[in-house]
Amino acid sequence: MQGGASVRLYGLEWPKESARISRVFDLLVAAILFLAVSGAFHLHYMLTAGDWDMWIDWKDRQWWVTLTPIMAITFPAALQYVFWTKFRLPIAATFAVVCLLFGQWINRYFGFYLWSYFPMSEVIPALLIPGALVLDLALLLTGNFLFTAMSGAFAFALLFYPANWFWLAPYRLPVEVMGQLVSVGDYISYAFTRTALPEYIRLIERGTLRTFGGHSAIIASFFSAFVSILMYLAWWHIGMLLARVVTTPNTLKNFMGLTDKDEPAETAQKAIDRTSLQGRFVASE
Amino acid sequence: MRTFCFRKSSCARVILSAAAAIMQIGILTFVPDAALAHGERNQEPFLRMRTAHFYDVKWSANDIPVNGEIVVTGKFRLFPIWPVNLPLPEAAFLGNGTPGPVLARTESYINGVPAIQSTKLELNRDYEFKTVLKGRVPGYHHVHPMINVMGAGPLLGPGNWLSVTGNESDFKLPIKTLSGETIDNLETWGLGRVFFWHGLWVAIAIVWLVWWLRRPLLLPRFRALTEEGGDRSQLVTSTDRLFGAGLLVATILIVFFGFQATDTAYPRTVPLQGSRATVEPLPEVPEQVKVVVNKSNYDVPGRSLRMNVTLTNNGSTSAQLGEFLTSNQRFINHEVSQAMATVDPNYPKELLPPNGLKVSDSRPLKPGETKTVDIEAADAAWETERLSSLINDPDNTLGGLLFFYDEHGKRTISNVSGPMVPVFTDPDNRTAENPKGGAG
Ligand SMILES: [Cu+2]
Repeated sequence: MQGGASVRLYGLEWPKESARISRVFDLLVAAILFLAVSGAFHLHYMLTAGDWDMWIDWKDRQWWVTLTPIMAITFPAALQYVFWTKFRLPIAATFAVVCLLFGQWINRYFGFYLWSYFPMSEVIPALLIPGALVLDLALLLTGNFLFTAMSGAFAFALLFYPANWFWLAPYRLPVEVMGQLVSVGDYISYAFTRTALPEYIRLIERGTLRTFGGHSAIIASFFSAFVSILMYLAWWHIGMLLARVVTTPNTLKNFMGLTDKDEPAETAQKAIDRTSLQGRFVASE
Repeated sequence: MRTFCFRKSSCARVILSAAAAIMQIGILTFVPDAALAHGERNQEPFLRMRTAHFYDVKWSANDIPVNGEIVVTGKFRLFPIWPVNLPLPEAAFLGNGTPGPVLARTESYINGVPAIQSTKLELNRDYEFKTVLKGRVPGYHHVHPMINVMGAGPLLGPGNWLSVTGNESDFKLPIKTLSGETIDNLETWGLGRVFFWHGLWVAIAIVWLVWWLRRPLLLPRFRALTEEGGDRSQLVTSTDRLFGAGLLVATILIVFFGFQATDTAYPRTVPLQGSRATVEPLPEVPEQVKVVVNKSNYDVPGRSLRMNVTLTNNGSTSAQLGEFLTSNQRFINHEVSQAMATVDPNYPKELLPPNGLKVSDSRPLKPGETKTVDIEAADAAWETERLSSLINDPDNTLGGLLFFYDEHGKRTISNVSGPMVPVFTDPDNRTAENPKGGAG
């Protein structure tokens, strides 16, 4: 094996065997990361925008449109920092959102449809892929996180409502029920009742946002887009913080006499200074 | 033997069904029937005694096929001595307590007003409700009327067992839209578009992910970025940028034209409706009999509630105490025929304590008469319904409704409420296990 054939990967020499093992490692990490991000992102999303995403009669033109992109840009932004700065991979947002959608469909099909008898038409998750693609492509084409925030994160929120309207529109057709006008979505959730989640819990276009006039989804989309820029920047930095490798020095080893004679014992403070300097060096790379 | 058994699917089926039968017998033997209901007993007694009192509740059927209809009707009164730790019913919604959407609700009304939206309700007033349900999931279901009150949660009415038979796949809930579309079944409506659109975008996303995943990924890219000699131009090539730019344009165009096409396909849509309904309570009926609670005890070993009350008949007809209703338990005075006549044979037995209500003097109150009587509601229901846990509550004021009947059979309702004092011991050595008392 030693001294066998070698390959060049991105300008660097790799022994063939190492390249092969590295490829296996790629696939293992990809599979583990897929499940981990599915779980973590799904949990975060359920806790922040869960009901809006779960029910067909919560997806209104104001709160759903405002909240969803703001809460959904978090993991894509944090992962973009890691994927782009460490590996130059412009796929973090798409990857995160595909993981999320996978987790949601599993949850809706097994948890809501099979286990709790809700019809699928009541529990469809929102679609975030178009916005995520644009976020990744903005990073690829600009190569700069600030420009990505201003263009990609903005588009991530702006594309949300039109990209979902394609499948949502049939649930917004008007029907007459008991002499009242409601949408098909309202009636689906009325017919297939949620015993512990009554009608009044919903937030349907409440507040003054709509008084700016026009279609409230457009106003909500632009508001969401501005906040999404800030969220993107914040979570890019959270990604930066979480990607730091910080080690804790084992000062106890001094007591065991394990210090080299020519190397003075490292104090805890010195070790913190060293690691944080290192962290800063890596982060600003 | 084992291999033989596992090869033969019929044998496996026998084992499975035997296991299922054993489990079923186990459940039926060791779990009391009503315990299969859905946790209404876990609500605190003060919540069940002093919020919504449901009465005259009727279920139009006990057994329906899939797509068959059951109508639940009745009345409820919101108790005036509302628990201080609960918000007032500023927003309330007529629900139905079922184990998930096993029935589809097609219509519901409070005092004739459609109850598809929430509404404000008033204390010490009565409301009439009607809910039309359609059988959907076959099984044996416990069905309650229910009022959800914002901040106070679900307030359950009496529950009755209903069996739905047939095939779940036969269920259909059709409707015609105002824009002219015919919907065969709301359960599956629109799913074609959902699957197509979600599928399309997942496919595009996978193309983009595979575009990058097909090349050496993590360590080679990391080394190329951090080590001397790494060729960064190979990490992101001009082909990548060109493909990316194309995908960017395609994404925006697909969203734009998808949106346009949808607007053309569905030109008339309405937003979600989030208004509140306005419901007037039923006309106020003056309380004919004024009830003052002088003393009330809950006898812990005897499992009985005893009240000493002073009744004053302010009406022009006589009044006879026929029923005490609290927490959906109907304690009926067996000496009053009008009260006995109100019991529907279909009414759930577990909500009718067999001993009923004992009144020290059941003779009718004449107009203007005042009388002090002892009433006793003794039943194991206090324990099985966990109402005796009132003695553990921070608020142990009890509440309920008393039903009086005049000589013409006309009914009037009075509220009864007062603090409750538990009695833990008694001279007869009675215990919860031995309510009759006596030695040993
Ligand atoms: Cu029940």
